Amino acid sequence: MGFTTRQIHAGVTPDPTTGSILTPIYQTTTFVQASIDEYLDKGYSYSRSGNPTVKALELKLADLEGGTDCSCFGTGMGATTATMLAFLDAGKHAVISDVAYGGTYRLATKVLSRFGIEFTFADTSNVDEVAGAVRDNTAMIFTETPANPTMKCSDIAAISEIAKDAGAIHVVDNTLLTPYYQLPLDLGADVSVHSTTKYMDGHNATVGGATISKTEEHGAAIRFIQNSTGSIMSPQVAWLTSQGCKTMSLRMDQQSANAMAIAKFLEAHPKVEQVRYPGLESFSQHELATRQASGYGAMAWFEVKGGLAAGKKLMDTVEVWTLAENLGSVESLITHPVTMTHADVDEAERQRVGIIDGLVRLSVGLEDVEDLIGALDKALEGV
Amino acid sequence: MSHFYHFDTLSLHAGQTVDPEFGARATPIYQTTSYVFPDTDTASSIFNLERGGHAYSRITNPTVGVLEQRIAALEGGSATVCTASGMAATYCAITAILGQGDHIVASSQMYGGNISLMKNTLPRFGITATFVDPLDIDGFRSALQDNTRLIYGELIGNPGLDILDLEAIVKISADNHVPFMVDATFNTPYLCRCFDFGVNITIHSVTKWMGGHGLAIGGAIVDGGNFDWGATDKYPTITEPYAPFQGINFWEEFGPSAFATRIRAEAMRDFGASMSPMNAFLLLQGIETLSLRMDKYASNTRQLLDHLSNHKQVSWVSHPGLTSHSSYELAKKYLPKGAGSIVSFGVKGGRDAGKAFIENLQLASHLANVGDAKTLIIHPATTTHGRIDAEGLVAAGITEDMIRLSVGLEDVADIKADFEYGFRAAEKFASS
Repeated sequence: MGFTTRQIHAGVTPDPTTGSILTPIYQTTTFVQASIDEYLDKGYSYSRSGNPTVKALELKLADLEGGTDCSCFGTGMGATTATMLAFLDAGKHAVISDVAYGGTYRLATKVLSRFGIEFTFADTSNVDEVAGAVRDNTAMIFTETPANPTMKCSDIAAISEIAKDAGAIHVVDNTLLTPYYQLPLDLGADVSVHSTTKYMDGHNATVGGATISKTEEHGAAIRFIQNSTGSIMSPQVAWLTSQGCKTMSLRMDQQSANAMAIAKFLEAHPKVEQVRYPGLESFSQHELATRQASGYGAMAWFEVKGGLAAGKKLMDTVEVWTLAENLGSVESLITHPVTMTHADVDEAERQRVGIIDGLVRLSVGLEDVEDLIGALDKALEGV
Repeated sequence: MSHFYHFDTLSLHAGQTVDPEFGARATPIYQTTSYVFPDTDTASSIFNLERGGHAYSRITNPTVGVLEQRIAALEGGSATVCTASGMAATYCAITAILGQGDHIVASSQMYGGNISLMKNTLPRFGITATFVDPLDIDGFRSALQDNTRLIYGELIGNPGLDILDLEAIVKISADNHVPFMVDATFNTPYLCRCFDFGVNITIHSVTKWMGGHGLAIGGAIVDGGNFDWGATDKYPTITEPYAPFQGINFWEEFGPSAFATRIRAEAMRDFGASMSPMNAFLLLQGIETLSLRMDKYASNTRQLLDHLSNHKQVSWVSHPGLTSHSSYELAKKYLPKGAGSIVSFGVKGGRDAGKAFIENLQLASHLANVGDAKTLIIHPATTTHGRIDAEGLVAAGITEDMIRLSVGLEDVADIKADFEYGFRAAEKFASS
């Protein structure tokens, strides 16, 4: 069945007791057991270990992503952390996209490094650099494609081959494109991670995360860590996210179309120094972006002529667009990564990977594209 | 759930059968509009009220259903219908049995919204009301007309706090075949089970003490199952065939829950003032601690009454638990565990002093709700009863200096200390 059918129906069966067309919100801690011998016969004991409302979302996401198992978490960082803890022990090594989300960078350099796990940050848009970074003790390659906020793309299939040869698993943060546009597991990756906060919820209503594994073995490893460390999604969040998923493809198509129009507008604007959007032919990895995904997503960035000062003025004065962190929601957001989302990345590292001071990040929403372009046009006039 | 269980047990368990699918200990939140039918025959029989079951959440919802059954069990009623607000409960309950040309005898001491409904809104549809001092029992009898179809009052009057003599009014109601409907919001079934005294229907703003946390709006109509609707021909909506459901006769089909079923079939279906599943879930959490909270409210209220009665800047204190109150004896009879946690008092210095007192409190919240876990305070003459004319204010027992206090669950020492900020600010008006 098609993606839009599955995003609505996968994982959901009408409640057998009442016929309720939606999965009830099982806001409960514990589940009554019929007898000691029948312990867990109905599948649930305690909501840290599993909850029927959360399960419905997990089944949906596993189906959409083409995996065998899914675990949902309280946040996207929860999903990333559990994945790393599941496959990296002290003395093991991981190769990570050097332009990964700032929170992933912080987790690796400031937290997991304390437990004797080693990380190499590599430019994963360059397959040779990934291959060169692999060591004997490499257990994971973690890529984010397109990467936030630079939009650099990594070749999922090629890197999966490198991982396989090295006996490592390949984890792909698929948040920016969602399974609607990109299926990392089909391309050879082992685990997809998501911040469901973004396009899956889509309405800025919840914070959540998910991992989807190709094999049951990997899924069980992540579940074990989740149950041990307690990073779970609440039933309320799961229920709201399940509702958001039902319109994911509709929103992605419209938001991506808006993003394309905005990117073209900015590219033609005399006050804009540069624009990066995978859908533009000028995008250096346009061919890769077109080959491994069926859409370009709704994230873009640009630099105003005049650098940081001009960019700040634009972000402070632009209407319609909201100055805020987060991305992927129906509301269009404008963000300054250097001071906001990626402030924890060392300055030298930021410059090296291309998070320049004047970078203005756009999360294109669902508003009328004329309004979004009009607001940027007006703000650009003032800089 | 059997009625042999005691109150605290019922407040935790009544109405909930453990989720048969997964055994979830808490009530699932059925946040859904509709229910999938197994086949068309089942669908048809649910639609025609021939069997229980859910079709559409405006009419019934499993989560709301648990709350309905729990409230019915706590009250000792036959059935409950929950509504989107307390006012919706009052409106739906009245209009289920009254129509054009009918008349209500009502207490004059009621929440301003109830008075306004009966004085301004219902008359537009030909339903009129006569208001009677709640302590004037003969007044209730003499206000009856041939077309009177309902006697209505709040057990603890708002804001004068006079108590209805339930048994005396029940006698009038029974003698005249007119149902007696009581707004039991201020007492909750924990302080008084009105049906034990012969009341026929209770109304609740579940928003208040029942829910107890000031976080969800909701109402409830509880059918006492003890009114003989068929004894006269005065209640055709209950006893005559109802065309929308193939001429169903509620009284014949549903007996003791005929009134509640009529409300579900008509008011929920046509007016649609339904409670949301999420609110029902939240309110259920509140009810689980109802008796614990009500005892603590009573204890804090007693200590504050003592404190205020002895305060040099307080000109008067009103609460049915005080021997000075006109309803002291009635409170002892009907509300032995506590006569509610609403207290009225006057700060010396009149309107200006009252205003200064309220505006200088730091802990107590200045707002128009009652029955929160937090202490709330308000000036009725300018707020809750602000749309009532001067004559109506007197009838409702409201004075210009009156401060209405909804005692909260905080440490009572902190409430007393907070009041000192108010008293200090009001001091300069005391001698003027």
